Amino acid sequence: MSIDSRAEEKLQKNEKISNFDLPSGGHYSVEHDPDDLWGDSRVIVNIGPTHPAMHGALRMVAKLNGETIEKSYCEFGYTHRAKEKLGENRTYHQFVVYTDRLNYCSALINNVTYAMAVERLMGIQVPDRAVWLRMICCEMARVIDHIICVGINAVDLGAFSFFLYGFHQREEAYSLIERLCGARLTTSYTRIGGLMADAPEGWEKQVKDWVKRTRTVIDEMDALLTGNKIWCQRTVGVGVMDAQFCQQYSVTGPTVRAAGLNYDLRKDQPSMFYKDIEFDVPIAQNGDVFDRYLVRMEEIRQSLNVISQCCERLKKGPIWVEDKRVRIPEKDVVHNTMEGLIHHFKFFMTGFEVPPGEAYTTFEAANGELGFYISSKGGPTAHRMRIRGPSFYHFQTLTPICDGAKVGDMVGILGSINIIAGELDR
Amino acid sequence: MSKDGSAAYFTTRVDAVVNWARKHSLFPLPFGTSCCGIEMMATLCSDYDMARFGAEAIRFSPRQADLLIVAGIINAKMAPVLKTVYDQMSEPKWVMSFGACASSGGIFNVYSVTQGIDTVIPVDVYVPGCPPAPEGVLHSLIRLQEQIQKGETSAQRRERQARAGKLKEVT
Amino acid sequence: MNINTPVPTIYGDLVERFSEIWSNQIRALKERFGDAIEEVQLPREFPTEVPNVFVRRDQIAAVLAWMKEIPDFEYGYLSDLTATDEQERPRFHVIYQLLSRKTMARIRLKVRVDEDQAVPTAIGVWPAANWAEREVWDMFGVRFEGHPDLRRILMDVRWEGHPLRKDYPVRGYQFFPTPEPIDPTLLES
Repeated sequence: MSIDSRAEEKLQKNEKISNFDLPSGGHYSVEHDPDDLWGDSRVIVNIGPTHPAMHGALRMVAKLNGETIEKSYCEFGYTHRAKEKLGENRTYHQFVVYTDRLNYCSALINNVTYAMAVERLMGIQVPDRAVWLRMICCEMARVIDHIICVGINAVDLGAFSFFLYGFHQREEAYSLIERLCGARLTTSYTRIGGLMADAPEGWEKQVKDWVKRTRTVIDEMDALLTGNKIWCQRTVGVGVMDAQFCQQYSVTGPTVRAAGLNYDLRKDQPSMFYKDIEFDVPIAQNGDVFDRYLVRMEEIRQSLNVISQCCERLKKGPIWVEDKRVRIPEKDVVHNTMEGLIHHFKFFMTGFEVPPGEAYTTFEAANGELGFYISSKGGPTAHRMRIRGPSFYHFQTLTPICDGAKVGDMVGILGSINIIAGELDR
Repeated sequence: MSKDGSAAYFTTRVDAVVNWARKHSLFPLPFGTSCCGIEMMATLCSDYDMARFGAEAIRFSPRQADLLIVAGIINAKMAPVLKTVYDQMSEPKWVMSFGACASSGGIFNVYSVTQGIDTVIPVDVYVPGCPPAPEGVLHSLIRLQEQIQKGETSAQRRERQARAGKLKEVT
Repeated sequence: MNINTPVPTIYGDLVERFSEIWSNQIRALKERFGDAIEEVQLPREFPTEVPNVFVRRDQIAAVLAWMKEIPDFEYGYLSDLTATDEQERPRFHVIYQLLSRKTMARIRLKVRVDEDQAVPTAIGVWPAANWAEREVWDMFGVRFEGHPDLRRILMDVRWEGHPLRKDYPVRGYQFFPTPEPIDPTLLES
């Protein structure tokens, strides 16, 4: 194995080299003790990118003094899939598939937000049934995202059966989503101007049964952890983010609601039919890990209320707006008429054109404010497709909060912020 | 036995018993990076239990695991990390390429993504899907177990060659 | 039908709700900063949903700080900090999306930068801008002066080129044999 150029330079200058100057941590023994970098017992620990406590591929390099993290820096980009570059090279219809893979725990919310963003640019109003179905999908996605967030947080801190209770409800939700659109996780359900397919017969009744069962399961899960002495000792007072900190760091979502601020885009900037639905926004006071857990559990219950109200209001109707620009013709029209065939061909080969303009469309995703800034110069592809993922701004808060905390606390804090690598790296 | 001393197919009972024990006690290392990681968790959880097939003891340290399940995207930054983790595992080791992104780059043919992990490490079984259904994962696991039982995997071939003293040293 | 058509299920008509607030704010901005406000594109005349305010490069930090503090503005939330490659001179537009929690009004500030020019950093106003500016540097190559730690964030440290520029190919693969090394100098407090 050859010596890296950095080590070679240092050898030529007769400087001390440490293991960090050699590739892959070094296979040579050096006279200089690498642990003795600062002349005392502080150690550099590399946590990740493949680490069970780091959700997805995140890397944190920490200078530890015993168990306390004195200074750390975070690194990511191990899941970077260049979706913004792809947004400039794929048509608007083709890009729906990539939006699923952003926050993959709640793929339907990303689909709906993207569809809303393009519809905003084109000035398209979606039919009512499609809006209600989109709301049901968003709230179901929010429920499963919160379940996985608190579940993984609990697993990191040692409570495993809590996760299994919630995961079974997630599997039932996956079966419902599969009945709706054919896929469990990466749904690609919305289309520009509507939805891919209508809900099958009896789907609303199955959703209502699922809501009833999930309510009891959430109560059981609550009883497992909320009053639990071990859980409280590990989470109360840990990783406190107060309101001022959240505003400085552009933190949104359940984290900022746990800090005491009443910020919810569903209430403040309502889109779809959220104005006509009654639900509460849970707010906590202290902004620690325990409060974030409580806020998410209560949000699950509120989302279940929203789903049952939307299921009541669902009426029969079209699910895709009959706008020639965006409506893909039905298969019988495509196979039997010449115009349908040509329209289908042009739609898939060239893509539809979006008039020039720019808009920044936001929605309250499970993690916070998910935004799509689409800048179009006419043409079938976007000029700039910017995805504002909430996890990007949330991950920045980890270093200021964890400097001075213990390594075990860092694991709990990271779980409570809910960093999804798909949104973080895009 | 073939001319260079390595055997393609052993029929001894000891090897059959050893392979039976190995296939039913795989220690997976879940190398989950993106969306496929969630479906891997679903396969490991109670609804589609992978523990039924013996792959229950999940070990996050490569020194203690023998099945590397690469679930999710491997990009230019992560590929050397994957190679390091693979090198740290001890023989015999198997690799399952979970999902389209790991097998071939998936829908992402962009500057930062390796177009398949087989450009970096040797793979034994590929699971198609984006993400694969858990039934598909279990099917691939059973296929891998059949291969282990018959002794067809590259890890076992390397072991036989090493035993016959014919393994070339790789630097 | 285009962006100037208000869609009821996507916030309704923003222009109706906020046009007075926006016109007052733009007037106050022009009074306070004069020349630094190069151009204002209003929603009805231009295909955008909030006003685009073009600010001169050297004054942007002052404008952001003023907009955050002044009672009539209170744009306290930095929603997003990004950039676009416009392929004309000046080449890049650095974009700041701001949100005012008091009135729920949004506004977009844009700065026109050329390839070798730098933009003053917004970290003094919002620490959240730290990583966003690193990402703009990584993806576009726009420097931010005053930034304590401008290095690559999404791509590998050894990557060459700035991926989101229009002249960077979609399939411009680059591979590295070793993982990214730890940098102990970042841990010096």
